Formats: sequence, C-alpha cells, structure tokens
Amino acid sequence: MPAEDSLAGHAVLSVTGLALRFKGAAANVVDGVSFSVGAGETLCIVGESGCGKSVTALSLMGLLPRSVAQIVSGTALFDGRDLLSLPPRAMADIRGDRLAMIFQEPMTSLNPAYRIGDQIAEAVIRHRRVGKQDARKRALEMLDRVRIPAAAKRLDDYPHQLSGGMRQRVMIAMALANDPQLLIADEPTTALDVTIQAQIIDLIGELQKETGTALIMITHDLGVVAEIADKVAVMYAGRIVEEGGAGAIFDDPQHPYTIGLMSSVPSIGPRSGRLATIGGMVPTVDRMPSGCRFAPRCPFARPACDTVPPDLAPMSEGHSAACINAPLETTFAEAGA
Amino acid sequence: MKLKTRDKVLEARSVTKRFTSKAGFFGPANVVRAVNEVSLEIKRGETFSIVGESGCGKSTLARLLVRLLKPSEGEVLYEGNDISTLTEVQMRRLRKDLQFVFQDPFSSLNPRMSVGAIVEEPMKVHSTLTRTERREKVAELLRKVGLRAEFAGRYPHEFSGGQRQRIGIARALASGPKVIIGDEPVSALDVSVQAQVINLLEDLKREFDLTLILIAHDLAVIRHMSDRIAVMYLGEVVELAENDALFDKPLHPYTQALMRAIPIPSPHSRAIDVDLKGDIPSPLDPPDGCRFHTRCPHASQLCERAKPHLTGVGNGRQVACFHWETVADAQKKPEQLPPRSAAAETRFALFRQLSQRDKKAPASTIKAPSERSTENA
Repeated sequence: MPAEDSLAGHAVLSVTGLALRFKGAAANVVDGVSFSVGAGETLCIVGESGCGKSVTALSLMGLLPRSVAQIVSGTALFDGRDLLSLPPRAMADIRGDRLAMIFQEPMTSLNPAYRIGDQIAEAVIRHRRVGKQDARKRALEMLDRVRIPAAAKRLDDYPHQLSGGMRQRVMIAMALANDPQLLIADEPTTALDVTIQAQIIDLIGELQKETGTALIMITHDLGVVAEIADKVAVMYAGRIVEEGGAGAIFDDPQHPYTIGLMSSVPSIGPRSGRLATIGGMVPTVDRMPSGCRFAPRCPFARPACDTVPPDLAPMSEGHSAACINAPLETTFAEAGA
Repeated sequence: MKLKTRDKVLEARSVTKRFTSKAGFFGPANVVRAVNEVSLEIKRGETFSIVGESGCGKSTLARLLVRLLKPSEGEVLYEGNDISTLTEVQMRRLRKDLQFVFQDPFSSLNPRMSVGAIVEEPMKVHSTLTRTERREKVAELLRKVGLRAEFAGRYPHEFSGGQRQRIGIARALASGPKVIIGDEPVSALDVSVQAQVINLLEDLKREFDLTLILIAHDLAVIRHMSDRIAVMYLGEVVELAENDALFDKPLHPYTQALMRAIPIPSPHSRAIDVDLKGDIPSPLDPPDGCRFHTRCPHASQLCERAKPHLTGVGNGRQVACFHWETVADAQKKPEQLPPRSAAAETRFALFRQLSQRDKKAPASTIKAPSERSTENA
C-alpha cells in the first residue's frame, strides 16, 4: 500500500503527556513526554543511557509488560486509535504491520534457527492474506530493496552466515515488508562499524524517501541525529528538555543539557583544548530531584531550579526548551563579562 | 613536562600473529593472520593511536606490544630489548612498566574484590611497600582519578560505568607504569562521561609522564587525544602519520573513507557519502594483492595482483597504496561549516566557563566534591 499523500503534514503518531513508572519505583521513568511525527518525517529522540528513550519506544510498541511498567498517564494517537489503551490482541495486529520497529542488536533480534527468507515471509503472512509463494516473493523483493547483493541466493541463508551490517539490512527488510506508516528505530547503527553505519544510515534515508514512512530514530549519537533528523527531541532523566527542528537544535541550542552534550563530543575539526564536560551523572529513579531533573549537574542552576520541574517554553517558532534560565546569555549576562 | 620524545619506548619489527582454529567437524583448520607484518615505533611521552574497524587486528596488536600475546613472527622491543621471547617470569618484572586499561569496565574488574583490593593488588606484586603505605597510596590514587578515598571499601557493582573505568585506570597506575595501553577505554561510556574520562587520561598522562597507546574506532576521540595515528585494515597498517597531517589530508583511500563515514554533528554537513563497496572481507580469507582493493573506489589491476608496502612519503608519514598521490589529490575538501549564532556561541562559552568553576584545579588536586556536580561519573 503506497503512502497516502493526503497524510503528509498530518501527524502519523501523536503522543501527549506520556508518563511511565516501573512497579515499586519512587518516580516516573518517563515523565510527561509529548511529541508527534508526520508522514515522511524523521524525529530523532536523543539522550544518554537511562534517559527513558528506549522505554518510551517499547511502550508505544506495546512491548513493555504491563506487570512491570505502568502507564501512569498519556495518549498515543496512531491511525485514530490510542496505542496505550489497545488490548494486546489489537496491538499485535498493528505491530509489524502499520507500526514496525528495528533494534540495536541485529545479532539477537533474528531467530538463529530460521532462514532469513522465511523470517521475512512470516512477517508478511502474519498480516496479509497471502500464500507461501507470494510471501517468499515479497521477501526477495524486500532483500533487493535493502540492497543485499545476490538476494535470491541469500534468501536461504541463516543469520549467522551474514555480517552485522547485512543482518541489520535484513531487520530493515522485515520491518518494512508490510509498508508500515511508522518505523521506530532504536539505535539501529550503534553496534556497527562506521563505514557500515554510514551505509545503513544512507539506506534508511533512501527507503524513507521512497516509502514516505514516518520515522522515529532513537540514538545517543549527535552525529547520526544531524545526518537524518527533521525534528529533534532531547531527553534527560525521563523528560524532554528541548525540542525543535534539527537546524534550531544544532545552531541555537538553549537548554544547558543540550549545550553540555554538544560540548562533550570531541570534534574531528581543528583540535581544541580540554573538553568541557557535564559534571556528575544521571540521577537514578529513586533519587529523582523534585525540581528540574538536570539541576544537580547544571552549572547554571540556582535555588529556583530545585522547586518545580520547568515546562517546555517556546524559544522561537517550533523550538522550545524546559529551562527557567533560557535564554542563558540574557540571564547570565554579567557572568560572561 | 615532555621528555625527550625522540627515543622509542616500544618498537614492533615485522610482527605477525596467527591464530589457528582446531580442525573442525566440517573442514580443515583455519589460520587467521590477525596481525600481518606490522612495524612501528612508539616514542616516549607521545599518545599513539591505532584506529580501525572491528576485526582489523588493532586489539591484537596492542596485546602484542605489551606481550599479553606472543608474536608468531617478528619481534617487539621495549627500551631496546626484545621482549617477544622472554619467559613469563622474566616478563612479570616488565609488567610493572606496561599497564593495560580495558574496554569493558563491567567485566574487567573482579566483582568479589573490593575497590581497594583491586587497586592495591599490583602494588603487592610490584613494590615493597608496607601494608599501611599501600593503603595510603590506594587512597591517593582513588583521589587522583576523581573518586573518593572512602570508596576503597566498596565493590565494583556499586559503581557506574564511568566510575568503574576510573577504578580500572587507578589500578593501571598503581604499579607506577611508563606505558599505558587503553583498548577502547571510553567507547562503552555515555558522551558526557566519556568526555570526563578523556580529560582524566590527558591529565594523568601529563602528571605521570606516561606514554599512552590508544586503541579506538572513534575517529573524533582519536583526533582529540593523539599525537600520531596508525590506521589498520585487515591486520595491516595502511597509513601512519601525525594527527594534524592525517586529518588535513588523508592519503590512503581507506583513511579517506573512514573520515567521510563519520557523521558530523551539524545538520549543514549532510554529506556522509560512502563510496565503499560492500562489507569488510573475512580475515580468514583476505583478498590477494592490496587487502583493500575489493572495496576501494580507486583500485586498479595492479592492486589485485601486487601488494603495496607501507612506505615513507616524507615528514614521518607512511602509506601503503600504489596510487596515494592521485588518491590524495582526488578527494573533495570538506566544506566549512557555518558558525553558530553569536548568542549560541555565548551560551557555549558560558557553559565552559561555569562548568569549570567548581574544578579549576587539575585532577591531581580534586577535592572532596562540592555540593553541586557532586560525584564524578
């Protein structure tokens, strides 16, 4: 099914006020997260380990057991339905069909005991009324589309016969086999070497252009973000601290965490001196600050930061940051002198 | 203080390491030449980096340099003496000088030993210090790597990845080494923590006059830290040069491809174009001729038949490519990135200034943490 042009511009997925809590935890692991992504659009969710980015994705896919993680509040509208309140059966019908996901570890997300052609075909048969022959044809077509050389010969390979990059291509083929409206990719290139990573990023970009799929990319790598994002949401300790267009986030970052993150990355440009770093470490769920969650590590923090968690406030058109001190250059005009 | 950087601390002479797998059920024994006839020198006081993708032999080479592995052929010289044939007992005395920091801070520390015992152990082997002296030194080392002396009584599982890496570094320093080899010492860490550990390594290197050998796949980390860099591909060094020279003008097509493949954190430079074909060939069955020719956009018939050797091209640079002169001229110049807005630049400057307010002092004098930015990760 080709992407409908009428969808362009409309949100394919729109998440509002999502809050998640692990059983018995003292604070929400994801706390009031809202974002949306439209057809053909790429949203990157960026943050460090433990910021809640993967948990957010898993909850949208219905892959977090409700016995472990509780949805405290929020809605996730997809195709006119709220993903967060769908019964498991209905969710299973959407998952892998209208909504697909690729994971970081291509080694463990494929079943080692089945041929890759059969694994892709299985994904098709689960959601389409097709025979084995047609499903296999579709699998071949998909392997071609993800640019696996000599795809016909590869159909009967087992995962262990493929390299890491090839396995990730197979995962992508499987995810896209039913022309999903939304693809969620959780660190899809982190386990790969740079030259292979570049090939996979190129591939994802091209396929997205061909199919018009909405893409949510979860990553910790600002380089990958700059490469493919239309919109960026920066997460810290379960909250979005800054969001906006890729241009605004990289050229005009407002939140101290975004600035700190960018300062911490060594550059391959002219050599600089010491790296500026963010002191301390991410708070654990049982010691979550009651005010701004970044305040204990923030060089700009003042007593007011410890009282209430700041909401996202607009900085410019489509660009907002959750910091009561933004814009920093005005608030700290005297410190810069 | 930099020592005379002219003399060599370590030298590899045509070192080869073969690994043989047992003849399997399905076929004959396989031989992998993980490192193939590599020669290089490491100068005293420098940071020497070895970069390459998985399976290129960089970790094997690092282990050969400090005799954690015995070379199959060739020799390794430490302070001018061949260490490749020493017995384990003879080697033990040298281990004091040559220390290793591993990639995975989760599996490289013994979970049953307290942090104090982990850091103390090398002193028990290599020094004549008394128990009290050793305890004092443990406390001092923990402070030097940015941890609290009280942490000596705790166990590794109580610490974050960054803190564990600091413990690993403290242990490596405990025997008073001259050379430290870091095998991907920061690649398992989050960016903000990674930056802290990079700064720490640089401070310690200066303070203890160390020679640092760094194994990494992240070119940005290498760009930031190194003096000289060797690029490896399938067990061989394909290019060796000073940091600035290498990044200004990479000569080998593989180095060029590596650099182009790095995603740059700026949306204005969306130009990772990889003209590399396909995957890295299996090290079990490396291609004939130039090992890179199967993926090289510049490969000619000559490259399929003959093997280019690493040759000097002036200014201490070496490259293993028949066509390096044309290759080097053919590359596109990276475009200059437009600068950030003035307001954003001010913000970055403010961040740098304020984030250093609490810790102006170098790592050697890190005090008990102040109320903000409490613990180091």
